[in-house]
Amino acid sequence: MQRNIRFMLNGRPVEVQVGNHQNLVEVLQGQGLFGARESCAQGLCGCCTVIVNGAAVSGCLTLAPLIEGADVRTIEEAQPDGQLDPVQQAFVETGAFQCGFCTPGFVLMTRQLLDAHPQPSDDEIRHYLAGNLCRCAAYPEIINAVRLAAAKRKG
Amino acid sequence: MTPFELAEPRSLKDALTLLNTDDPSVRAFGGCTALMLMMKTGVFQPTCLVSLRGVEPQHAEIQSDGGALRIGALATLTAIGGSAMVYRAAPVIVNAMQTLSNVRVRNVATLGGHLAHGDPHMDLPPVMIALDAELTAVSVDGERNLRVADLFTGYYETALAKNELISEVRIPSQAGRRSAYLKCTTRTADDWPALGVAVSFATDGKVVRDARVVVSAATEKAVRLRDAEAVLEGATVSDAVLARAGEAAAAEAEMVGDARGSAAYKREMLRVYAARAVKQALAA
Repeated sequence: MQRNIRFMLNGRPVEVQVGNHQNLVEVLQGQGLFGARESCAQGLCGCCTVIVNGAAVSGCLTLAPLIEGADVRTIEEAQPDGQLDPVQQAFVETGAFQCGFCTPGFVLMTRQLLDAHPQPSDDEIRHYLAGNLCRCAAYPEIINAVRLAAAKRKG
Repeated sequence: MTPFELAEPRSLKDALTLLNTDDPSVRAFGGCTALMLMMKTGVFQPTCLVSLRGVEPQHAEIQSDGGALRIGALATLTAIGGSAMVYRAAPVIVNAMQTLSNVRVRNVATLGGHLAHGDPHMDLPPVMIALDAELTAVSVDGERNLRVADLFTGYYETALAKNELISEVRIPSQAGRRSAYLKCTTRTADDWPALGVAVSFATDGKVVRDARVVVSAATEKAVRLRDAEAVLEGATVSDAVLARAGEAAAAEAEMVGDARGSAAYKREMLRVYAARAVKQALAA
């Protein structure tokens, strides 16, 4: 019921012992990464968003052994030149958060959205981010942030 | 969650062998999203889980044959929702996907798991029944076909035997037919539905033929509403016909109240949504 798994974490190889019943958020915490937080524990709030093999998943619903061999990326992944990326920068400039608890999930989901739809409509933004909850209700600013991020990425 | 063994077979055949056991808590998973919720709440405490993620990739393929679709049970909801083939053959599926759970769940959840879980609140069971989809169930004993309409036998109960898995779902050509799926969420837009309604029918000029009206979420299982279908059969849709179809649906469905609405409230919603779904299908 315990096993060693190896995977790539933010570009570097790691090997950890996990229980079959543990989830990905617990594994990341063991690595000192706390950006993905288990909040609703049901996969509907998005606070535990992690990118696994290029696709967004809920870390709280991902069994740890299933990430064997996977490419795992979190909000802690270093950006080029140590700078904030356009999405993070847009969230700062629009004030798209208050407490910031949900922000890592929103940033990661926004990057996924803009990778798939570089110029999303407001409707597309709302649909894509429907699985992320902000209990401070910074939603209008978050929509603005995604629009700004799209513009920044376009250059 | 309580500890358990995890088996990761490399073939569907090996998975079926692992599932052919007397232990009722051995369970297969594709995305493991719905099962995770049950394990986290302690409702389900398995001794062994069987991951289907490592089996042959052909079980996740989506194929089109004429207007008909063949979808491997391990196709993710994201793959199905993003498939141009699926959109051409049955746009109602792609439309339903927009509000089905969220991107992260759709990225891993599979069609087979979505159906086999037997949860009446899921979005695709009523859609698949309305489209008259059929599935293949496989086990060490062989395979059999059954209609999705005959899959659900009760609240979280299906006609699948303990050692059976869904291997694929087939949707017949929808040429000449119109379909729609509506759901009513009462707390937030992204909540589980209080009610789901799927409709599908052929049109002969302005006359409705071979109508299927399916209710979900408000009932213990997704089920066809024959009285509402009878009202629509051979009728030219008008406000009066829509009203009668809505009344018939509300009268015959066995509604179950829950945290998202009382049975009486859901009955009213069904009356409105059944008519609205027909209207939307006509406009599609």
